[in-house]
Amino acid sequence: MSVNVGPQPPDGKGPPVIRADRLEVIRGGTVVVEDATFSIEKGDFVGIVGPNGGGKTSLVQALLGLLPRSKGEIWINGVRQHEFKNWEKVGYVSQDATSFDEKFPLTVRELVGIGLVSGKNTGRPLRASDWKRVDEELQFMGIADVAGRRVGELSGGQRQRVVVARALVRNPELLVLDEPERGMDASALEKFYGKLSELHKERKTTIIVVSHDLSTVFCRMSRVLCVNRVVYSSSVDGSTEEEALKKVYGEHFNIVYHRHECTERFA
Amino acid sequence: MNGISFSDIPSLFGYQFMQYALVGGVLASATCAAIGLFMLLRREALIGEGIAHVSFGGIALGLFIGVYPIYTALLLSVAATLSITWMRRKGIANSDAAIGIVVAFGLSLGLVLLSLSGGFNVDLFSYLFGSILTIDIQDLTISAALAIGVLAFLGALHKEVLSITFDEKAARVSGIPVERITIAFNILVALTVALSIKIIGILLVTALLILPGVAAMQLRLSFRGTMLFALAASAVSVIIGVVISAAVDVATSAVIIFVAMAVAAMTTMYSRLGDSK
Repeated sequence: MSVNVGPQPPDGKGPPVIRADRLEVIRGGTVVVEDATFSIEKGDFVGIVGPNGGGKTSLVQALLGLLPRSKGEIWINGVRQHEFKNWEKVGYVSQDATSFDEKFPLTVRELVGIGLVSGKNTGRPLRASDWKRVDEELQFMGIADVAGRRVGELSGGQRQRVVVARALVRNPELLVLDEPERGMDASALEKFYGKLSELHKERKTTIIVVSHDLSTVFCRMSRVLCVNRVVYSSSVDGSTEEEALKKVYGEHFNIVYHRHECTERFA
Repeated sequence: MNGISFSDIPSLFGYQFMQYALVGGVLASATCAAIGLFMLLRREALIGEGIAHVSFGGIALGLFIGVYPIYTALLLSVAATLSITWMRRKGIANSDAAIGIVVAFGLSLGLVLLSLSGGFNVDLFSYLFGSILTIDIQDLTISAALAIGVLAFLGALHKEVLSITFDEKAARVSGIPVERITIAFNILVALTVALSIKIIGILLVTALLILPGVAAMQLRLSFRGTMLFALAASAVSVIIGVVISAAVDVATSAVIIFVAMAVAAMTTMYSRLGDSK
């Protein structure tokens, strides 16, 4: 039986990491995502933008199986979503991942260690090699110096890097971040996205970021999905990006690039 | 005052009822402290209160039909925790409202059954306020089995429970069986509450679930340190509480709670003093 295999690209480079086909999501009786068809290829760095209430979070939650879909089909690595088993290869940081209690009794190292737990190793104690992996990830995210501190004592930027380290510690092939800029100032945001770019280039991780920060999305990411119930998929290098933005934000909308702030795009 | 002098306290430990009280009390309080710390982190501390009140209905049912009341309390407690989980999951009521509904049901059931059986009696009071000094070998065996079960579950799955507590959506995405672990955890909460009633009483069991964890969380330790401190604080509260209550002849469960409160107050002051330096 080979019902698992989703649409294949003609060049034989393997199935898309994610493929949505005529996807519809209903939340509270309202259609929040309608007739969405798009694919995300291996190694893509995708920004999902759109106005508040436009369905960005619902879209990613549906892609990850956190929200049921009312119509359509989703494939992950060529496997139908409900038959997909390798969830340990997917890292997810939710919108409110950093809004934990100040007194939450976990050190940074302990929290990142918890990220190693998945459906395939439930109940297994962490080994020395696991903790070595944790320390490597702390080093990569630049938070090794706060490893022993409690997570509640960290700044917004540090918290965000900790929860991303927690998602990365399993070496995911796909990393999904929902509005990671919360609680970060401009400097922390710059460092954070610098780290994501590094991750994308060094490990070839496919990254999806839901964001309101349009300048960052258009400067750093290779593709953009504009979402306002309908999903407009475009490449930032293509000619449709302005049209897509106008469709979701309105005709009055224009985006202006500052060459000196957008070095990756104009490299 | 009908108490004994403090110089007689060492001799108390020679009595079997005192040994049972201390062992049973430490087992029950350690179980409450361990599971209570997770309940605090999950912001579900009041579920313990809800289940304790449903146990009142269960105790009354047992007394009414002539069955060992802890068994009927266990049954209703598990039913209550599953009902709370179901109402929340189906969107019928949020956590507070679901707890309110089961509390109302448990108290109403207890009152109806008590009315039918001719009103309050001595047995019921011992369950409302606990009777640690009267526990027997059967109670001790049950407490030990519960402690082993709860500590084994938390020992094996504490990372998973923490992961669900910290970010449930991320836990779901990583394939952790969130529903099964949550239901198992809630059933253990129900068992812990129902089986601690004989020792600490329906009205005070929530305090043993909450206070050791609150005391430990003030100290800003690692998770392991927080858990160990909560376990130690609960054991110390029981031992000092039992000894003081025997010395001054007052209700043991209330003194245990006062000692636990004093420990929490001390760790809070210590933490605040550290902040102001």
